[in-house]
Amino acid sequence: MKKKTGNRFLGLTLSGLMVLGLTACGNSAGGDNGTADQPAKEETAAQGTETSSDEKIVLDVINYHVGTDYAAEYYAYLFEAFQQTEEGKNVEFHFEEIPTTDAFNQKIKLLISSGDLPDIVFNGGNNITELAAKSGKVADLTPYFDADPDWEALFDETSLEFNMVDGKIYGVPVSKEISYIYYNKDLFAQAGIEAPEVAYADWNAFFEACDKLKAAGITPLGMDTADSGWLTNLWMSALIGTNGEAGNQWMNSMYPTEFNTPEVVAAAETVQRMFQEYTTADAVGGKYDPMATHFFNGEVAMFPNGPWMIPDFSETEKAPEGFYDKVGIMLMPGKGMEMVPTPGDMVGASEEEKIKAAVDFLKFETKPENQIKALEMTGLQPVSNGLEIPETLIESDPLMAQVLEIQDQAEVTYGQNQAYWYQNTIDTFSTELPELAYGNITPEEFCNKLSESAKKNQE
Amino acid sequence: MKIKNKGLWITLFTAPCMLLFALVYAAPIVTVAYTSLCNYTTFSSPEFAGLKNFVTIFGDEGFLVSIKNTLLWVVLQSTFHVTLGLAMALVLRRKPKGWKIVRTAYMIPNIVPTAATGVMFTLLLNPSFGVVRPLWEKLGMDMGQVPNLFGNSRYAFWTVTLTWILYSGFNTIIFLAEMGAVDQEIYEAARVDGAKPWQVDRYITLPLMKNIFGTCVTLASVAMVSQFDIIYMTTKGGPGSSTLNLPIYLYKAATLENNYGKANAVGVVQIVIGISLVLLIQRLFMTKAGEEDGR
Amino acid sequence: MKKTPQGVIYAAKVAKYLFLIFFTLIAVGPILWAGISSFKTYAEINSSALSWPSSFRLDNYRAAFQYAPIARYFLNSVIIVGISVLVTVVLVAMCAYIISRFRFTLKTLIVLLISASLMLPAQAISQPLFAIFQKLHIFDTKAGLIIVYSAMGIPMSFFVMVSYYKTISTALEESAYIDGASFLQTFLCIILPLAKPGLVTIALLQFINTWNEFYFALMLTSGDSARTVPIALNYYMGTFANNYSALFAAVVMTVLPTILLFVILQKQVVESLTAGAVKG
Repeated sequence: MKKKTGNRFLGLTLSGLMVLGLTACGNSAGGDNGTADQPAKEETAAQGTETSSDEKIVLDVINYHVGTDYAAEYYAYLFEAFQQTEEGKNVEFHFEEIPTTDAFNQKIKLLISSGDLPDIVFNGGNNITELAAKSGKVADLTPYFDADPDWEALFDETSLEFNMVDGKIYGVPVSKEISYIYYNKDLFAQAGIEAPEVAYADWNAFFEACDKLKAAGITPLGMDTADSGWLTNLWMSALIGTNGEAGNQWMNSMYPTEFNTPEVVAAAETVQRMFQEYTTADAVGGKYDPMATHFFNGEVAMFPNGPWMIPDFSETEKAPEGFYDKVGIMLMPGKGMEMVPTPGDMVGASEEEKIKAAVDFLKFETKPENQIKALEMTGLQPVSNGLEIPETLIESDPLMAQVLEIQDQAEVTYGQNQAYWYQNTIDTFSTELPELAYGNITPEEFCNKLSESAKKNQE
Repeated sequence: MKIKNKGLWITLFTAPCMLLFALVYAAPIVTVAYTSLCNYTTFSSPEFAGLKNFVTIFGDEGFLVSIKNTLLWVVLQSTFHVTLGLAMALVLRRKPKGWKIVRTAYMIPNIVPTAATGVMFTLLLNPSFGVVRPLWEKLGMDMGQVPNLFGNSRYAFWTVTLTWILYSGFNTIIFLAEMGAVDQEIYEAARVDGAKPWQVDRYITLPLMKNIFGTCVTLASVAMVSQFDIIYMTTKGGPGSSTLNLPIYLYKAATLENNYGKANAVGVVQIVIGISLVLLIQRLFMTKAGEEDGR
Repeated sequence: MKKTPQGVIYAAKVAKYLFLIFFTLIAVGPILWAGISSFKTYAEINSSALSWPSSFRLDNYRAAFQYAPIARYFLNSVIIVGISVLVTVVLVAMCAYIISRFRFTLKTLIVLLISASLMLPAQAISQPLFAIFQKLHIFDTKAGLIIVYSAMGIPMSFFVMVSYYKTISTALEESAYIDGASFLQTFLCIILPLAKPGLVTIALLQFINTWNEFYFALMLTSGDSARTVPIALNYYMGTFANNYSALFAAVVMTVLPTILLFVILQKQVVESLTAGAVKG
């Protein structure tokens, strides 16, 4: 050993030997070393020219409508079409793609607190509007609405109010969200029951039908708890929202902190029963997709959801051939329908010129013909009332046409938790639902937990 | 024995590491420590508020549960999980038939992205169409009671644990490397003396593994103190708070309650727990070899 | 010494192989299952975990490429992870050696700092880091992620390496110094070659740890030039529009080359295992 040390390696340099000593990674990683810097440099160079160009206005956009997102195609179309317009021809978009709203919201929150919001801020929900407005890092759009009454006239009061913080408009709502019940006509026939024209008169009638379905060996309802417990949330909102004046008012109020009201507790009790008697074994802990597949496969008879699900009915990847024709639509018992304005897209730019360009884009996005286009491509409901629906859509998509028609028959409308509750409360809802379902906590305890969690936001 | 310019070499050899370290961690450590004492949210800047955040979290049942779960996972991981890795290394060390395949195969779960692992386990353990149902049927159990492994708080903790505790390839690699460093002459001598394989393991290999076992226990504990991804992908801390641990609690405080001050207070607790564990484990396992001659 | 009865030896052998087979199965099972599932349709994957796909079509593999820039992200991953492995290993090889061999004033502080950072929650680090990176103009660059990953790797590699160095007897160094070798010579010519198995191990560990990192990759990048595989996987995971089949297709495509890389790296470990015999 000694002999070696003296001379053999003497001439080698530190770096040389370090790499040699690590042949394993040295070979692969060392080779890449040169290429690593190259693209990065190109990138910065490209950005440099973009910003220095004085003809084009560059708008930074973070887009979560990418990948498997339901509206990816529509937004790809929208950005391109905007650049063909008079207002948009000088606008260039600089995109950052963030797949999934979950990741998007995380990043937007980081950007809110660091003050680096993109010029156009899409709204992924989760109370982002309020956070952004309070931080003072998004533009007050009220003056732009005031200056363009035609544009303002496209929105009803509730939609705009929903996007106001302290009396100022921060978000431009681009659609409305509604939901109701889809049912499987075949399974209803199998159980020998007839679905009501518009809706069951009340919940008793609804559960009678469930019992009959169950007696015929059919699982009546689709429910879930994971992610945000979307389906269960729709049932529960309906139970509360159709329960008299008090319930309806409660379900239409923003950021509730008191869940121990008779209506909410009653709804929790019913939801508990629904889990125990009327749904699939995997509903507890289940995510949306397997539940939707149960419905597509004719394993559950009724499924609450919005119009954006309609395209899936005829997609053979998801549903069996001909499934579209088996689906019927009804409102929630008591002619109830969930309807909420959507949290609107915001403007994060600070330079006058960019704000204007961003607003122009939002105006383009809410143009009646683009609202119709969105309806056709994604099932997103127009935010504006009374838009002319083209004949072709009614012919090609009768279910969608029925949706547009049945909306007007709703006698009570109400919100749902994803739009109205604090974000941590939605999470509590999702994590405590299984406990409620298995009877580990009582409906009262369930509601207490929701109250506790909501109140954390006001500490 | 004397080394020329000892101080210089110490500086030269530790400085690059510490510089990189400082670049990434210095500011955050200070920020976390300071803002844990502040009112600080997504939309407001930090304002000093004393120990308020700590009072809040220690008054919250969910937080105490998350400490309990975290510690339980630390214990499970640093005992069962690490020992499993050691056992595997002991078997593989003797190069039984197919050992190369096993060694590579056992590492695979560590390379599969967590997001995918989460999806796989949720689908595989789905009570309606996963592997549990047919097994349950074979066992002749009541089909109305197929266990909902992620969905029922009775099983959720153990199910989540199962997604990682058996996959100890990480430790196996560390142990294998350490075993390879053992002087072969010792083994040779033992063989000549007629020692049986288990005796070799018991009296030669295992004692030599003490140090690295400590290291593995340290790493396993620390990994459990900051375990996040797979829990987030499967149960998000639920049902109830059955799989809630400190990082999930912290994540919820930061991203769902938008309360950075509170989140960082949790972070401070997490760091304190982690460091205490590291020190404790080092005291238990580490011999201070190489240092003893006091150079 | 008594002779162990044949039966016991036989039973031990059976037990040993059962042990190996069991763990190989549970390790390989899920990824094999994912491989099979990557051929299923949306309906198949969401309604049965145990059935075979109706046909072995490549649609999902096509979809995997179509939804996300998976190839590019994979290349980014290789570059970023590769360099960060190298950086970590070099820095830790030096720093851990000092800590394992010498006593000096700041030593305890260094060890404590390193331990503390192991537990620092990513959510807490991301914000200050974001600001620093923008100031240094390394936001959204590979260099930025390499720096974070290298630093992230330090604590763990550090502990493993300190422990490994301690197994190396100091006698060798002493005789080298008596022969008049300098510190650097001793480190490079005696210690490093002996430490090779340890170094390869931390390289592997660092690789595993950074390969699946998601949070920083998301927060500290904004474009395709520096994003990595875990982000690509998110493209298949829309909340109400999962495409698990494409996800599994992407996983198969990214995991296979990784396993290959791994096999090559592990070969190094084997070689160093046999090389270990020289030591002492």
